[in-house]
Amino acid sequence: MTDTATGSLPSHDRLFGLRKEHVQRYSTLVVLVAMFLVFSISVDRFLTGQNLLNIAQQISMLTIVGAGLTFGFAAREMDLSVGYTVGLAGVLVPLLLVKGVPLPLALLAGLGAGLAVGAANAILVTLVGIPSLIATLAVGSILYGINFLMTGGRAIYGGLDDVYLWLGQGRIAGIPILAFFMLAAVLVAWFVMERTIFGRYIYAVGGNQKAAELSGIRVRKYRAAALVVCSLFAVMAGTLLAARLGSGQPNAGERYLLDGLATVFIGMTMFRPGTATVLGTFFGALFIGVINNGLNLMGMDTYIQAIVKGVIILAAVAVVSRSTKLNLL
Amino acid sequence: MEIHLADITMQFPGTRALDGVDVVFRSDEVHGLIGENGAGKSTLVSILGGSLQPSSGTIAVDGRTVRFGSPQDALSQGIAHVSQEGSLVPGLTGAENILLGIEPRRIGGMIRASTLKAQAAALLAKWFPQVDIDLGCPVGELPMADRKVIEIVRALRGSARIVILDEPTATLPAREKEQLWAIIRTLPDRGVGVVLISHFLSEIKALSHRITVLRDGRRICTESADALDEQMLVDMMLRRSGSGPQRKFEEAAQASRGEVVLDIRDWRVGRLHVPSFTLHAGEIVGLIGLTGAGHFGFARSLHSPSGVRCAGLTVGGRPVKPGPPAHMQAAGIALVPDHRMEYALIGEWTLRENLAMVHPGHAAIGAGILSPGWEEAESRRIMRLLNVKAHSSGQLLRTLSGGNKQKISIGKWLYGADGRYRVMIFIEPTEGVDIGAKAEIYAEMRRLAANGVGIVIASSDLLEIEALAHRVIPFHHLRPGPEIPGTGFSESAFIAAISGAAPDTGARRTANSGTPA
Repeated sequence: MTDTATGSLPSHDRLFGLRKEHVQRYSTLVVLVAMFLVFSISVDRFLTGQNLLNIAQQISMLTIVGAGLTFGFAAREMDLSVGYTVGLAGVLVPLLLVKGVPLPLALLAGLGAGLAVGAANAILVTLVGIPSLIATLAVGSILYGINFLMTGGRAIYGGLDDVYLWLGQGRIAGIPILAFFMLAAVLVAWFVMERTIFGRYIYAVGGNQKAAELSGIRVRKYRAAALVVCSLFAVMAGTLLAARLGSGQPNAGERYLLDGLATVFIGMTMFRPGTATVLGTFFGALFIGVINNGLNLMGMDTYIQAIVKGVIILAAVAVVSRSTKLNLL
Repeated sequence: MEIHLADITMQFPGTRALDGVDVVFRSDEVHGLIGENGAGKSTLVSILGGSLQPSSGTIAVDGRTVRFGSPQDALSQGIAHVSQEGSLVPGLTGAENILLGIEPRRIGGMIRASTLKAQAAALLAKWFPQVDIDLGCPVGELPMADRKVIEIVRALRGSARIVILDEPTATLPAREKEQLWAIIRTLPDRGVGVVLISHFLSEIKALSHRITVLRDGRRICTESADALDEQMLVDMMLRRSGSGPQRKFEEAAQASRGEVVLDIRDWRVGRLHVPSFTLHAGEIVGLIGLTGAGHFGFARSLHSPSGVRCAGLTVGGRPVKPGPPAHMQAAGIALVPDHRMEYALIGEWTLRENLAMVHPGHAAIGAGILSPGWEEAESRRIMRLLNVKAHSSGQLLRTLSGGNKQKISIGKWLYGADGRYRVMIFIEPTEGVDIGAKAEIYAEMRRLAANGVGIVIASSDLLEIEALAHRVIPFHHLRPGPEIPGTGFSESAFIAAISGAAPDTGARRTANSGTPA
């Protein structure tokens, strides 16, 4: 850390006198700040404490899903079942509560479901050898069916535990409890990825699988673990989602797939371009949250929002792909 | 037809691969091209085949100066290149491969299957009437020799007058080799010259009309094959540096008295069979051979023995069952592989992270939690030890030079390892490494050996083996040959051992009319 003597770089590494590396690493953050400023100036109710807390609440589940997906991406595994896994916990937990199962048990059952989905994905990918993109797509379809079978296609509401609803809707000192969950999830995920051997191995497997194997890393184990973590974060988000909505809805999780992937993609443009990082994903979620919120306040149609989001994902992936090889399959 | 490469020089960054080479190839001869690895053979034929453009020099076809900007340009002048690795599509049939890209089509683009078969069969019959190959069979299922024939027919399908064959028999069993020889011999009579690259001196002798020897990018001689014998060829291929024999024989003698750190009985992987192999502490053993001889595969299998069957394996005196790399590492075997960016390192990681890849736990505070400070300290220690030139341990690996990358690839096994590894396998340890770093890497390998590590080096750089190894095991056709002891070996002995030529005194075999029958 002491001798970071930066030699003079050839001019093609520089852009307007700044190192291109840095320009790229932080350009997404600059865009985020700029967007925030534009909304602050042009939209009346944007820059208020209440609205900022709203944004935190709105992105909390998305951030949790994204944090899980970050593990998968780091190991170069995609989990496309993540939206339906959110849905699974989102109907299973309320269903059990309605049936009179005590809250702790219902929550444990939710986690158990996540473990089961993660294990299924992991087995299909690492033991059967199906590429994760395909295996998790199929598992997602199965979960979709299960979610609707469990509920008969109807929303589950009424008779939900008060403590449960409080988790999703309550506030402590004016700050939504969901925001605390998000913060905890991000901190834990960041710590595991950046400061533990487990995280290091997951990055190694994604960075160069052959080299990892020849360095004595049990590659399958860590690919499997990454997929299990994905599912666990997804059920956590699903459990909180149903608490926030006050009902279990079989299709509520669907949008978390695309948005979750988007947070990771946007995150991959930052910090270590081409690599999924927890911090990057967090800012990715914030990015999406600020856009959604700002456009909402401007009274923009949700369909327009979808288009804007799609364009932003493309821009993000274009930036990453230009600098590094983005191999996802 | 006659093609004249005049005063060809090829300058790559840092090295001059060809230096004023002047040679004539004709369409009525088989022209053998020999030299050590790195002598410039591949560069020369790449220029002839149009895939490389020389830094200076001219190419003339029958006296007309031409420029080859691409392989297509060369092809249009009648020069076809059959590369060493092969370029057939395994899933397509022989007929489809022969006519790949020029398939007869119906209106609308559909391939006419019957016409295709007939045309391919006609081509085969035209060139090699004596050969019987099932052209309807996917080439992936054909014997290697048949695949080579199909490749050659494809090269000849246009109006080729000179065909470049790069190690055509390297992957063939002995019997199929003879068949291919017979085929190659017929070509000059039919107006197609052959430029033949081969490590097998006997093959070069038996097939060529004339032979050109390259060394260090220069043409040493071009002579009629009748005027040369194998010993003369070996002598010409070698760099007579004179520093080679200055070996420390005591070092070798002492090493063989060290305890046994690796002992193997009946080691089999696929068709490779090593009846026994023993490595002592402090010993450096070199494995050499031609492409496909099995020495690289054997070296690799010691660390990742998937598919290995063996009668016995002991590491550091303890019996071990072959298992995945993690298991072999726990037993005390490390691997510094070739192709470091594919097999050893992560370009987008920092040096520190790369160094800590094998033993991150060294910097663990407990419960798998890493201390960045400890990791930094240990990385710095390794970088100092190996003299890695970088401005900090936080630099991205991909920004380093080849030599420094290789040092990190070795350093991975020293970081936090503390003498844990009794056996270290090196494959092509100085591939793409500059001279200065090469010397440092050799010094490090000697230091490791002096500290009691048993070292195995599989390399195609014979000078490297000569400089380091206490004894050498030549591999030939997936079997280890008679060991060459630490005293008095030389590169010529190596080349003789791996190319199947008669060593030393056996050079008497007079020019046995190597003319094609």
